Amino acid sequence: MRNFTLPERELMGSGHLGCQGCGGALAMRYALKALGEKTIVVIPACCWTIIAGPFPYTSLKVPVLHTAFETAAVAASGVRAALDIQGDTETTVLAWAGDGGTFDIGLQSLSGAAERNENIIYICYDNEAYMNTGIQRSGATPFLAWTTTTPEKTPKSEPKKDIMAIMVAHRIPYAATATVAYPDDFIRKVQKAKSIYGTKFLHVLAPCPPGWKAPSEWAIKLSRLAVQTRVFPLYEVENGERYTLNEPKDDTALPVSEYLKLQGRFSHLTEKDIQAIQDLIDKRWQRLLRQVRESA
Amino acid sequence: MKKPIVFTSEHEMPPMAVSLADMGHNRTGSWRYLRPVYSEKLAPCKNACPVGNDIPRILSLVSQGRYEDAWRLFRETSPLPGVCGRVCYHPCESFCNRKDFDEALSIAAIERFVADACFDLEDRIPERPKRSEKIAIVGSGPAGLACAYFLAKDGYAVTVFEGASQPGGMLRLGIPPYRLPRAVLDREIELIARWGVEFRTNTRVGQDISLEKLWEQHNAVFIATGAHQSRALNIPGEEFALTGLEFLKAVNAGKTIALGKRVLIIGGGNTAMDCARTALRLGAHPIVVYRRTREEMPAIAEEIEEAEHEGTQFEFLAAPVAIRKLNGKLEVQCIRMKLGEPDASGRRRPVPIPSSDFIMYTDTVLKAVGEEPDLAFLSEHLETSEGIVIERAQGMLERAGIFIGGDAQTGPSTVAQAMRSGKEVAQKIKSFLRGERPPKATTLEEAVRVNFNYFTHRPRVATPQLAVSERILSFAETKRAISAEQARVEASRCFSCGVCNSCDNCWVFCPDAAIARINGHYEINYDFCKGCGVCAEECPRSVISLVEEEL
Ligand SMILES: Cc1cc2nc3c(=O)[nH]c(=O)nc-3n(C[C@H](O)[C@H](O)[C@H](O)COP(=O)(O)OP(=O)(O)OC[C@H]3O[C@@H](n4cnc5c(N)ncnc54)[C@H](O)[C@@H]3O)c2cc1C
Ligand SMILES: Cc1ncc(C[n+]2csc(CCOP(=O)(O)OP(=O)(O)O)c2C)c(N)n1
Ligand code: SF4
Ligand code: SF4
Ligand SMILES: [Mg+2]
Repeated sequence: MRNFTLPERELMGSGHLGCQGCGGALAMRYALKALGEKTIVVIPACCWTIIAGPFPYTSLKVPVLHTAFETAAVAASGVRAALDIQGDTETTVLAWAGDGGTFDIGLQSLSGAAERNENIIYICYDNEAYMNTGIQRSGATPFLAWTTTTPEKTPKSEPKKDIMAIMVAHRIPYAATATVAYPDDFIRKVQKAKSIYGTKFLHVLAPCPPGWKAPSEWAIKLSRLAVQTRVFPLYEVENGERYTLNEPKDDTALPVSEYLKLQGRFSHLTEKDIQAIQDLIDKRWQRLLRQVRESA
Repeated sequence: MKKPIVFTSEHEMPPMAVSLADMGHNRTGSWRYLRPVYSEKLAPCKNACPVGNDIPRILSLVSQGRYEDAWRLFRETSPLPGVCGRVCYHPCESFCNRKDFDEALSIAAIERFVADACFDLEDRIPERPKRSEKIAIVGSGPAGLACAYFLAKDGYAVTVFEGASQPGGMLRLGIPPYRLPRAVLDREIELIARWGVEFRTNTRVGQDISLEKLWEQHNAVFIATGAHQSRALNIPGEEFALTGLEFLKAVNAGKTIALGKRVLIIGGGNTAMDCARTALRLGAHPIVVYRRTREEMPAIAEEIEEAEHEGTQFEFLAAPVAIRKLNGKLEVQCIRMKLGEPDASGRRRPVPIPSSDFIMYTDTVLKAVGEEPDLAFLSEHLETSEGIVIERAQGMLERAGIFIGGDAQTGPSTVAQAMRSGKEVAQKIKSFLRGERPPKATTLEEAVRVNFNYFTHRPRVATPQLAVSERILSFAETKRAISAEQARVEASRCFSCGVCNSCDNCWVFCPDAAIARINGHYEINYDFCKGCGVCAEECPRSVISLVEEEL
């Protein structure tokens, strides 16, 4: 049996306002375990604004700065600058934003920070829609998925934006994908990010049971299946060029239908739709393998 | 319990929006409608083991190299781990969940390893109140031995009456030493005797002492006399055939039997296989004559394979119709059979093909077409239906206080089944003596679902065997023990179905940090658990159940 080894210290408290089975909440729990107490979290408008707790409460045992929707990266850069002026190089600044705040409205401030190579860790917990405001589509919503703004009759017609490619193109020192079903991989990547100077970007797939229309107990199962079906491969890219593939390791992937069929947001799909999604995934996978090969 | 912060005026508020407390006042447990609870389940292997060995726990101990603890745990449920690790047909392995992933655990090989590794250990016999009730057990096979052990552990005075010169039943009389070395059997019987069990050998009930007398002198009597009466062939010349079981008993008792070169063995059960393998070791050439095909043979597959491997020849779809003696040799007239409609046992019935007779020449014929209990000495206490003894209230015979079990009750079965029966009778006797109802047996209620994602494929350990050329020269044990390292590695393949082994998954995956780890076990904080069910889903071994909250 593969046993996980997680740092003991719990920096996310119980009583938070995440829904049952919230992948985003679990992701925060792992991230803070990896980073430790000397961390400041910057959170723009997103579910985590709520999960953290209303004034005058907080569910995190580290300082949190709540900021405007489009400003996670730039606000984090400011906090970093303030710490640096105080001579505090030990504290990590973590920008923690949703997919809407990263792929869409926050992209310009993120691009600016990356271009300046600000010394921050930016984690996008991607639940694939604007969940906090009621499941509206974002640039991260998958191809043909249902959301309240892409109803079943006209599901999302564009594929998911390739945020990793965008960040890699900035040639930042470290970019990686992670997800909650792989805690060891997750923690290792956050700790690696902490050890590197400059802008570090983590794209974290965070299952959202209410938004994905799936039972809460399947949160981890969905995260795992996303990897096993190659919908969300786990990999890292150093300095914009060195690709390393972490998971899935084996050559035989599960068909994407195994992942889709568990989620109500895909229940309208036809056989043809599923094949179209499979083709997309196969193409991306081949491209990833090429990138890994070429950078070896 | 943390309380929410209440500001009674603006002045009490901080100058800017800053947090003053954690969310501990927010009891998210009130959101829950399904409650995760740790409730260990019965592993399918344990459920299938007739004596109820606690296999997942034992394997966990072995994987940690704690062989003595493992041995002591075996002895909680069975007095014969060294015997069972060798001759039990291991139904546990047939039900092992791991077979749906790669291969079943090699449970029997580990049981044997543990028993061998702890060969010199003694049971820790605690001071316990001696009970005045006396119990007589007739027969010292696995049924009698198990019953004696569990009664003696409870302080009852147990005497075992055995017709043969040494205790052990079929384990000594029938099963040859190349499968069960006598030192192993002797040691495990010795440990049973240590609990105060008295063995009276060379004492045949109905002959040397009457059942009536036993009944008068004891508070309860257990009949565990096995099934030793060989079935007849009912053909002319039957008197020229030896009985397979008698042949085995003689060889196992150290007697010399002149077999000649060719030996025909009639029958396809385990007795037939042991006759063939024993004949091989005496330098003869055995030919098994069976009236159906290999598929219908009642012997277990492994035994057939071993017999064949060692050089036994098989003559399928043939049945003897007459035996004649000619110049010191035997001439067996056989008839060809074909398979017809299925019979009551579900196997296809053999039907003779007219005028297909042929002759087989041989030096010896051994008949091994099955055994049945000989219960003549019991006749007045007994009612049977199709050969099966009918039990009266609370498992007793017509006469209160007389119990029956093992092969004597069911006809030929297995070592482990006989032990289960002996164990159950021990329980029935205790209930009877205390005037209570016997407890109900437990069975598998909830299937244990294993989350295969947490495991990697690993091959099952191979049991080392003596080379055939060496095997047929002596009665030395053919299977060799696996090494300590192999046992440890093999045991670590166990999924630990239904039994928490502190893998941490529930703690790792709780999105609400509502599970605490306390010295290798876990506690769920129901003040905060939202009942998402992630822990139950991700428990690799179904230890956590989700139960509906009462509203
Ligand atoms: C050749 C052979 C090989 C076998 N191999 C296997 C195997 O590998 N694995 C397996 O699981 N099973 C095997 N079996 C079956 C198994 O041995 C029996 O099912 C099991 O031993 C039955 O146990 P028991 O205690 O009911 O009876 P037994 O083991 O038959 O013991 C009954 C005892 O009662 C004694 N007895 C009988 N009548 C009297 C009396 N009137 N007074 C005093 N004592 C009496 C007998 O001498 C005997 O010692 C084999 C059987 C045979 C014949
Ligand atoms: C400028 C601005 N526009 C809109 C909003 C309203 N709003 C708050 S959170 C949110 C959606 C956030 O989506 P995402 O970033 O994906 O995070 P999630 O809620 O899914 O975790 C929106 C639209 C806002 N706060 N600010
Ligand atoms: S994996 Fe272990 S606990 Fe599960 S059935 Fe097999 S031996 Fe028993
Ligand atoms: S994972 Fe946590 S919140 Fe979910 S059911 Fe288990 S204990 Fe409760
Ligand atoms: Mg989102």
